[in-house]
Amino acid sequence: MNDTDERVDTDERVVRVPRGHDALRDAATGDSAVTVHEVGPTGVGAVDPLVTATADGETAFYVDPGPDRVRSAAAALADGERAGNAGSPDAVVDGDGWTDALPHAALPGLDRERHLLAGCGWRRPASADDHESAGGFVDADAETVRDAATDLRGRGWGDWRRDEPVGDLWTRVADAGTADPVVVVNAHGTDRGTTADALLLASAPFEVLEGADAAARAVGASEVVVYANEADAVAVETVRDAAESYPDPAAPFSVVTGPPVYRAAEPTMALEAVEGADRLEARLRRPDALPTLGDGRASDGRPALVHTARTLGHLAIALRQNGDSTRLVTVAGDVESSATVELAADEPLRAAVEAVDPTGETEAACVGGRFGGLTDSLDVSADPDALAGADLGTDGRVELLAADRCVLAFVGRAAQFAADANCGRCVPCREGATQLADLLRAVYDGEYDAAGIAELTRVMDGTSACDFGVDAARPARTAVARFDDHLAAHAEGRCPAGSCFEGADTATDSATGAAATDGGTPGVPR
Amino acid sequence: MSSDRRDGEVPALTEDIRPGTATDPDPGSDAAATVTVDGTEVSVSEGSTLLDAVEAAEAAGRGTPEGVGGTAAEVPALCHYGREGIGPRSTCRTCVVETEREGLVAACSHPATDGATVRTDAEQAAEARSVNLDLVLSNHNLRCTTCGKNGRCELQDAAIDADVEEPRYGVLDDRSAYEPIDDSSSFIQIDRNKCILCNRCVEACNDVQVEGVLRVEGSGADTRIGFQSGVETMEESTCVSCGHCATVCPTGSLVEKGIEDATTIQIPGFTQKNSVGKVHEGSGETKGPMTPKKGDGATERQRASEAERETANARDAAAEERRDWP
Repeated sequence: MNDTDERVDTDERVVRVPRGHDALRDAATGDSAVTVHEVGPTGVGAVDPLVTATADGETAFYVDPGPDRVRSAAAALADGERAGNAGSPDAVVDGDGWTDALPHAALPGLDRERHLLAGCGWRRPASADDHESAGGFVDADAETVRDAATDLRGRGWGDWRRDEPVGDLWTRVADAGTADPVVVVNAHGTDRGTTADALLLASAPFEVLEGADAAARAVGASEVVVYANEADAVAVETVRDAAESYPDPAAPFSVVTGPPVYRAAEPTMALEAVEGADRLEARLRRPDALPTLGDGRASDGRPALVHTARTLGHLAIALRQNGDSTRLVTVAGDVESSATVELAADEPLRAAVEAVDPTGETEAACVGGRFGGLTDSLDVSADPDALAGADLGTDGRVELLAADRCVLAFVGRAAQFAADANCGRCVPCREGATQLADLLRAVYDGEYDAAGIAELTRVMDGTSACDFGVDAARPARTAVARFDDHLAAHAEGRCPAGSCFEGADTATDSATGAAATDGGTPGVPR
Repeated sequence: MSSDRRDGEVPALTEDIRPGTATDPDPGSDAAATVTVDGTEVSVSEGSTLLDAVEAAEAAGRGTPEGVGGTAAEVPALCHYGREGIGPRSTCRTCVVETEREGLVAACSHPATDGATVRTDAEQAAEARSVNLDLVLSNHNLRCTTCGKNGRCELQDAAIDADVEEPRYGVLDDRSAYEPIDDSSSFIQIDRNKCILCNRCVEACNDVQVEGVLRVEGSGADTRIGFQSGVETMEESTCVSCGHCATVCPTGSLVEKGIEDATTIQIPGFTQKNSVGKVHEGSGETKGPMTPKKGDGATERQRASEAERETANARDAAAEERRDWP
């Protein structure tokens, strides 16, 4: 029996293989006694691609197995063996409480509570039946949705209400009788290949679509546009399939892609991309009005509610579980492979690090996305107020920096990226990022102007037209505040991480303790 | 009109105009408002911005013994034009003021809401205007002595008013980074090294004259004023030489031919045209009365197939990470 859209029978013997791995699927297929389901990734690089075999409530886990291992597991299952006896699994979970969620297993990232991610690696992403079996498609009226959104805060820099509650906005829109609003699901967020938004589209698209559908009901929207990165081909295809099979949506879905550049996730540039603009730049914002989606003329546009896939996915969970307090955090950087995990809002970020295998001793981390804040402590919680209090970013990404990773080089690259990747519209971002990169470059030549960097980042943060420029100031600002000695050492020709100067004598003067000044020439830091 | 013109040669009035800029909301207030600027209460009409209020306060204080409005005069609002429906582009951010409700805002594009309180002299606002003005100068070719706009340049005026003597970030003085001066047109010379990307010329060309010639193109440091027809020079473009772009240009970036050396220091061989050492010359061909057509009104990217467009997008994405460090 092959993949079908029929409801999962708990008596079935099921092998779940990751979508897109045809050899694994073919290896599992062949015996009619075993059902094969193609599922999305779990989000945890250390276990993906993951194959599971389930029979009689017992599930066996196979981490990155070859076809032979999958074939033998499927054959054993077909022979009536217990799942735990089939083909030397990496973990086994018994008990029959896991019919609609990936069981918690003693594997990295899978040994903890998962709500929004519960179906990742378990449910067939485009199967409405699987989603319904898991309690999905909650029939909540508009007021119930708005109430559920009261405490729901926008997730990520692509959300028009980043870190702010979305419910009050929706209530204002509904109370004002705003004509013909449109819900835009911003799942574009591209950040070096790993984003929670793309994971949700590829692995749990119905959570996102259900949240978007509920939002459409809450504000009386006439259309839901899902906006994704054209480079995320699997995510785009999967969410298209799911949208087509969504039962009785409140408003029709459409799926639109944008170019694979970082700035295309900014909410107003997302709208520009959906409108078909051939050049993306930020729009000005009015503090008292929603942005519009139209044909390029502001006066003709419909009010647009731009929320990330994460925000809307969390809404679906809040409706189902009568509240939601988790946040998705992706851990990347100097790790063997990245992982996206779900933290309770009051849980420290270091809990997410348990899902990854760092490639070296971690000395620092960049918290909050591409333009996150540098810190040497992950004791702060994932709560946006706590993160803001620590001048860290809230974009749900933690990048670990190993001991040999230079903080100056890291924030310098971030500044150079900002200079190269900004839209070009406003001076504090366009010219500010260029000058910031130059100020950081000058440190290698012995000119460390901490006050100048602080002044420039203050102005970028305070006067940029959109959050690209606001955020771009953060890496350098926090590096100066927290890694001042590290930066100052470079001005003396010494890199504490030992990675910036080719042929450098990094020894210190035994008599004075001062750093050697003969630092050689700047090389190519990691 | 020539009677022997081929069919379809007359440009259609419905020609697609693609200025390359975002769809901004209307920045003005929804209603008349009373705003307090540096302690002076002023009333402004519906559709006003905070910059209107700042200017009203300056006008109200002009000539009074207290000199109220003296601080308002410190707000350069360099890219602001305020006429003919042009702007606000709100790019330069040299109009930043501090508001009680929203903190630092760009006055030129912020609606004047009733009861708003504005301080132009707040420390952070003054710092922001100063830094942003220096950032504009950092990417401006400061060869004023060969510039035809020397003495009638809004950037020069703003820098003088702000007592800029030595800009924090220097000025554009890297000859390898200079763009050639486009001297190809018989009517208008373009020196992009002096462009501050205020977008006035693009709006004059598209929104006022409805010619659809100029556009903003590129991103990051490569952002520049280009042509919607995808050509490189003014001579090849669909420009009708109306001159509106040169009229609104705040600097010496777009200057009418014949006066590009009007204020150049009188030293033989010392001209605006040879000031950066690279020039796009005209072809010397005699032009007919009609300018070239824009064709289908699309840039190269717009005409491209889906596959070509995706390739170009991927190239853009790669360009984001192009620079080595340090």
